[in-house]
Amino acid sequence: MPSSSVLGHPDLGSQLINLCSMLLLLTAFAIVAQRRLSACVDLFALQSVFLAVTAVLVAWFTGSLHIYVAALLTVVIKTVAIPIILKKVIERVNVKREVEFVVNIPPSLLICGALVILAFSVTEPISKLGFLLTRDSLAIALAIVLIGFFTMIARKKAVTQIVGFLMMENGLFLGATASAYGMPLIVELGVFFDVLVAGLIVGVYAHRLQDTFDSVDTTKLTGLKE
Amino acid sequence: MTAQAALILLVSPFIVGLIRKVKARLQSRRGASLFQPYADLLKLLRKETVISSNASWLFTATPYVLFASTFAASLLVPLFLSRVPLNFAGDVITVVSLLTLGTFFLMLAGLDTGSAFGGMGSSREAIVFSLTEPATILAIFAVGLTAGSTNLSTIVHDTAVTQGFVRDPPPHLMALAALFIVTLAETGRVPVDNPATHLELTMIHEAMILEYSGRYLALIEWASAIKLLLFLTLLSNVFAPWGIATEADPARMALATGAWALKVSALAAVIGVVESMFAKLRLFRVTDLLGAAFILSLLALVFFYILRG
Repeated sequence: MPSSSVLGHPDLGSQLINLCSMLLLLTAFAIVAQRRLSACVDLFALQSVFLAVTAVLVAWFTGSLHIYVAALLTVVIKTVAIPIILKKVIERVNVKREVEFVVNIPPSLLICGALVILAFSVTEPISKLGFLLTRDSLAIALAIVLIGFFTMIARKKAVTQIVGFLMMENGLFLGATASAYGMPLIVELGVFFDVLVAGLIVGVYAHRLQDTFDSVDTTKLTGLKE
Repeated sequence: MTAQAALILLVSPFIVGLIRKVKARLQSRRGASLFQPYADLLKLLRKETVISSNASWLFTATPYVLFASTFAASLLVPLFLSRVPLNFAGDVITVVSLLTLGTFFLMLAGLDTGSAFGGMGSSREAIVFSLTEPATILAIFAVGLTAGSTNLSTIVHDTAVTQGFVRDPPPHLMALAALFIVTLAETGRVPVDNPATHLELTMIHEAMILEYSGRYLALIEWASAIKLLLFLTLLSNVFAPWGIATEADPARMALATGAWALKVSALAAVIGVVESMFAKLRLFRVTDLLGAAFILSLLALVFFYILRG
């Protein structure tokens, strides 16, 4: 099992992992600041690529083989399968291609900034005790979960809500990889399957919304009466 | 160091030419020669200057103020040697305030002649500038905090001595992203402003300098080229000071100049690609982009305090 001092530099592993987790957070911000639906999906795919890279780095620096499998599954499911499903949904329910907001972009960014600060201050006591290798990643993971949650609340369309949900899942996966060097493989397989199913369900759900309301705006659901 | 002064004056038009060339190639055009900006500057310097009869002294003073302040600011940024020529004179705050001085005069000059376009350009520039300013300062402060100084020489020297391996990637990465957006906004590149347009509804920088001609225009164009080079140098040397010379040794300095030229050209090419990929944002959407830059640099700063505080 190679230690964190591979390649001659003592913090190289931790530096690289932090850098990659940071790229995940940056893409989360990019999703929040994005107005076009399809670009949101593309950015989510990009975020998943960074997630896979982070997982591979953790696997490499800790020598745990099952994380490689998880990274491979991330690439297959989150950067290929789910974006394809979501793109099809966007294409087929041919509505306005723009994201609709409950909270507009500049205040959203401010709120997300505050969420990141919250995540960092909450995890600070834990990070101090934590592993050297993934010092900041836990905080970043929590920040991504919160931002994903916020995206689900603050965006109206079904597609953006699933992107928010998937972003939360990315954050959780990052947290699991960072703080516990990955979950048992069987749990991870279950989670990936759940995520894929969630993607499919939202596809169907978006179609039903479109059929009933001629729109995928989920706020219209409050108008349903018995 | 007269070498840095000469290098900045000479190389800056080339960078403008390089960005244009990259854009032209991406649009499947052959594009003008890389040295076209030099020819343009020479032509403008020889041309007659026309000044509106309504213009006051401000109008004629502005090109000189702009050029001098931008040029002075560029001497404060480490280029191939981590000790800069005007190191004694000030730090990064001086750089930003010198640039602000130039922009402030340019906005006044835009208003001075009383033309509708000039005023419109100035008011837009004021919006953009007031949004980029805090992001710039915060981004550089975030980096400065890691190095423990606001002096650009110290910041760059510090990072260069540790083999260019940045000590805290997360804040640096955020600051880098913020400063890149700021660079696009401050130098009037595509998502914010279009340097190639004279379409009345969209221009910002071009609207302000619409009344200028001859050698005044040449000075302003040259000053914007220097400003662009300054920002690219700042980006490459603050975040990736690879190959920069830490002491005044001729051989290492020559090597460092080569490394700098490569880094700056690569960044210029990236800007060319960005300009080809994105459409210009509507003026009211610019706040979204610059808001993102501000949040990023603010986070970079907060990260420093939370992680290391």
